[in-house]
Amino acid sequence: MKEFTFERFTQTTDAASAAAARSGAMYLAGGTTLVDLMKIDVLTPDIVIDVGPLGLSRIDVSDDAISVGAGVTNSQLAWHPVVRDRFPVLSEAILSGATTQIRNMATVAGNILQRTRCPYFRDVHASCNRRQPGSGCDALNGFNRGHAVLGVSEHCIATHPSDMCVAMIVLDADIHTMRPDGATRLIPFRNFHVAPGDTPHIEVALEHGELITHIVIPHLPAARRSHYLKVRDRASYEFALASAAVVLDLDGDTIRAARLGLGGIATTPWRATEAEQSLKGRKASDATFREAAETALAGAVAREHNHFKIELAKRAIVRAFATAREAKV
Amino acid sequence: MSTTTTVDVVGTARDRVDGRLKVMGAATYPIDVNLPGLAHAALVQSTIISGRIRDIAVDDAERAPGVVAVITHLNTPPLAIGPPTEIGPQPLPPFQSDAVLHYGQHVAMVVAETREQANSAAALVEVTYERDTPVLSFDDERATEVTHPWTPDHDRGDVSSALAEAEVRINQIYTTAENTNNPIGLFATVAVWDGDALTVHDTTQNPHGARDALAAAFGVDPAGVRILVPFVGGAFGAGLRVWPHVPLAALAARITKRPVKVVLTRAQMFTAVGHRPNTIQLLSVGASRDGLLAAIDHVSRSSIGMEGELINLVTNGSLTAYACPNVSTRARQIRQSIPIPGWMRAPGEAEGSFALESAIDELSYALNIDPIELRIKNHAHVHPDNALPWSSNALLDCYRLGAERFGWSARTPEPRSMRKMDQLVGYGMGRGALGAYQPPCKAIATIRRDGTAFVRSGGTDMGPGTYTVMSMLAADCLGVPIERVRFGLGDSAMPKAPQEGGSGFTGALGNAVHATCVSVVRAFVNLVSDDAMSPLKGCRLEGITVRNGGIQITDDPARFETYADILTRHGLDEMTIEGESAPPGETSSATMIVQEGRFIPYTPPSTGTLAHAGAFAAHFVEVNVDPDLRTIRVARVVSAVDGGRILNPKTARSQIIGGIAMGIGMALLEETVSDRTGRLVTTSLAEYVVAVNADVRDVDVLFVGEPDAMTPLGTKGIGELAITGMAAAIANAVYHATGTRFRSLPISIEKVLGLQPGH
Repeated sequence: MKEFTFERFTQTTDAASAAAARSGAMYLAGGTTLVDLMKIDVLTPDIVIDVGPLGLSRIDVSDDAISVGAGVTNSQLAWHPVVRDRFPVLSEAILSGATTQIRNMATVAGNILQRTRCPYFRDVHASCNRRQPGSGCDALNGFNRGHAVLGVSEHCIATHPSDMCVAMIVLDADIHTMRPDGATRLIPFRNFHVAPGDTPHIEVALEHGELITHIVIPHLPAARRSHYLKVRDRASYEFALASAAVVLDLDGDTIRAARLGLGGIATTPWRATEAEQSLKGRKASDATFREAAETALAGAVAREHNHFKIELAKRAIVRAFATAREAKV
Repeated sequence: MSTTTTVDVVGTARDRVDGRLKVMGAATYPIDVNLPGLAHAALVQSTIISGRIRDIAVDDAERAPGVVAVITHLNTPPLAIGPPTEIGPQPLPPFQSDAVLHYGQHVAMVVAETREQANSAAALVEVTYERDTPVLSFDDERATEVTHPWTPDHDRGDVSSALAEAEVRINQIYTTAENTNNPIGLFATVAVWDGDALTVHDTTQNPHGARDALAAAFGVDPAGVRILVPFVGGAFGAGLRVWPHVPLAALAARITKRPVKVVLTRAQMFTAVGHRPNTIQLLSVGASRDGLLAAIDHVSRSSIGMEGELINLVTNGSLTAYACPNVSTRARQIRQSIPIPGWMRAPGEAEGSFALESAIDELSYALNIDPIELRIKNHAHVHPDNALPWSSNALLDCYRLGAERFGWSARTPEPRSMRKMDQLVGYGMGRGALGAYQPPCKAIATIRRDGTAFVRSGGTDMGPGTYTVMSMLAADCLGVPIERVRFGLGDSAMPKAPQEGGSGFTGALGNAVHATCVSVVRAFVNLVSDDAMSPLKGCRLEGITVRNGGIQITDDPARFETYADILTRHGLDEMTIEGESAPPGETSSATMIVQEGRFIPYTPPSTGTLAHAGAFAAHFVEVNVDPDLRTIRVARVVSAVDGGRILNPKTARSQIIGGIAMGIGMALLEETVSDRTGRLVTTSLAEYVVAVNADVRDVDVLFVGEPDAMTPLGTKGIGELAITGMAAAIANAVYHATGTRFRSLPISIEKVLGLQPGH
């Protein structure tokens, strides 16, 4: 770990301008990603700015939305009664990730900004365009079992590891930020994460120093019939091999509307818009869901070890929709 | 004293005597040791797989804040290899040349004032390598086969003829993956010199082995080397060898003339303290149509590093598993450019039993015979090689009682025939066994004038509950309440103990403690036998009962005297006696066994009359397989265990559950992965997936059988038993659930989907 200075502010604008002024500054929230990566020299900030004291930890509920402070912990959000009632998919997604201990520390903004688990990203002696632009990608021909099949490029195939984000993107959440000059802006969730393309080191739509203040999840009555399904090797405490976040709006056994998010198989939290469209007006049968799954994975590109994820994701999609269909709401 | 009934503590389920310390964080593991003036070392590891160090630039590191020394092969003196231990040779000493033989090999050690400074400076060491092509496949023509005396070939009968003539044959290849021990406690070494005397706090399962290795490395008298390890945070075999960081810590302390501490990182735990090597096994089984085994041919190839030797008994269990007249076993090792392997719980036996018990299951389907019935039919009622009766063998009870507890009779034999809700259900079983092993061991016991007992021996307690069961045993043998007994271990200045490994330690130490405590009581009896002042005058060992911290004439409760009173009257502060146990069969002298405070003559069986049986188990497993997602979950396990005399059913049960959990990991999850370049990619517990609580659901353990006749104590080693046969039991259940036979571990989801690479 490289030596660093540690700073704390109580005003959001002070924190943002302190960070913006120095390129080597990084924000610290729950620490479950930053500290981990600092220990293995993947992240080497000169200045660590603790956003804990900023007090961004409120959950405000109104009739048309729920506003979640950036510093709300994963546990607080997952167990919030309104979240459990209105957005089962979000609660389930968060609770399927990590462990109780980690969820008690990890924050909502930190979850959104968490970094890939690609072993080559995490090994400073490996080539990784994401960590060190232009150095190459050892994952392409390396051990890529955990890697993405959607949103990939010839420069990076690292998977976005979050479960929560898959639910957030399905719920069309908005990310609210504050820039160093105090100006605020709103970034729709689906525009927030950036696919690697030929600039894998650019992961999110934030400017340096720009701070996430809160996330707004619009009310979605149909989300009461929603579900998050996560498939992994062991039964708990593992990143997804494939996951599906679904919302199903039914009229009898006909699909009025559907939403589909995918995790564990894409370089960003993935929204399968085309598959969603294909479901409209169709009968809510497993066969229909399978067709949508084929659509969702049509553009998938596999490497040596992750080919199975394409079929696994399709099956996860079918199961997630079928489970939502059977849910009593 | 109205009654002479004494109740043994041994055999009752008791909490750990060190449980409170551990739960409170007050148990001091090597990683917790801090000394005045302590310097901290960080290791630099090779990022190439094979080649030479052309240049190693340490200037930047040496100039970094707080750095005290940088050690490389260029400034390391010759370090001699330590003597072989009970279980084979030590790894070769580090920093003796510029050769790089594997990824993650230590190439430099940076010593600094703080651990952070050492880590930070370690990143500044610039190593320039000359790469050559690593050997990463058994098929590589440069891959050499190792021959050494540790894994001899075995033949019984005529296997090839028997196989050729067999009515039914199974002939398959089974493979097991590299696994890594991954104890929770990171390995740590703290070394400090005083002249030529060396004290080392070290995560080891073998304090005396570490002492001898360090004495040899530095050419000093072993008597001046002391290893301290009161607690080990798990090891599963990783602490059986003296790995390079241990002499390096001592070297750093010698060079800097300060105490030096090194703590391995989790990533380093994958490359620097051994692992279970992978295997490719050919197994052929021949049988008659009515299910009698005619031949077993077991050939194993397992990986080994580019240097050093390692016992790996992959095929050993196949020799005596069944009453089969024709058996041939070959265990080969192939040199690969991999981190130096070591031992991991039931090394070789876990892998070999996967192949054998899978093949026997395949045979049961081929013959349409129930897998239990097939095993019972071929049960080795006597030792298959020498026809001697077993010293104990309750394997048939394991099958019968385990099946009953599990509800095996509900199984419908046809694969894919059982369902629960929407899940495929599979029942499978496997036979577990671990051969008998009991190395020599010494102990020393003291009874003090305050009535307390202090018994100790230089072994370790890496978690199974050694402190607890030895305290229980000493309490019974001495008749001192367990609260007044303290057991000491983890110090090479204590009497010589063998490694805590090979499932031989409880037997070795337990019999030593037993013998030593009997000697202590005998010494007291001798002291009072012609003592006119003592109510015990004239007593003999056979006529007394030990209880309540003293001795009583069994037939006369009024004649009782405490050890404390005896010591006081004789002007003694304490009574201290050394004792030892020998491997069964090596001495035949009669001794005593203590039961309910009384001393009963025990004569070991004459040499050559009994075959020393190990421990046996039968595992019964229910898996649930999702027919679409193809996830496998182990829903239930029942393990019936013949562990001989069980000293503490609570800690013994925990041992078995631990082996089952590790077996679940081996079968379904665990794989240490290096990519095609040879670089290790599973370097954390997120990437190397072990079974977590949610994967270890309904586990039931039952103990069957009787004390083993071979030793006074009657125990059998159960530390490794549960993982043997466990992976096969799971694979067999998966076959029953799915109709697909998986012969390659781990049975990962891509295999169950039929979409693994290369297929």
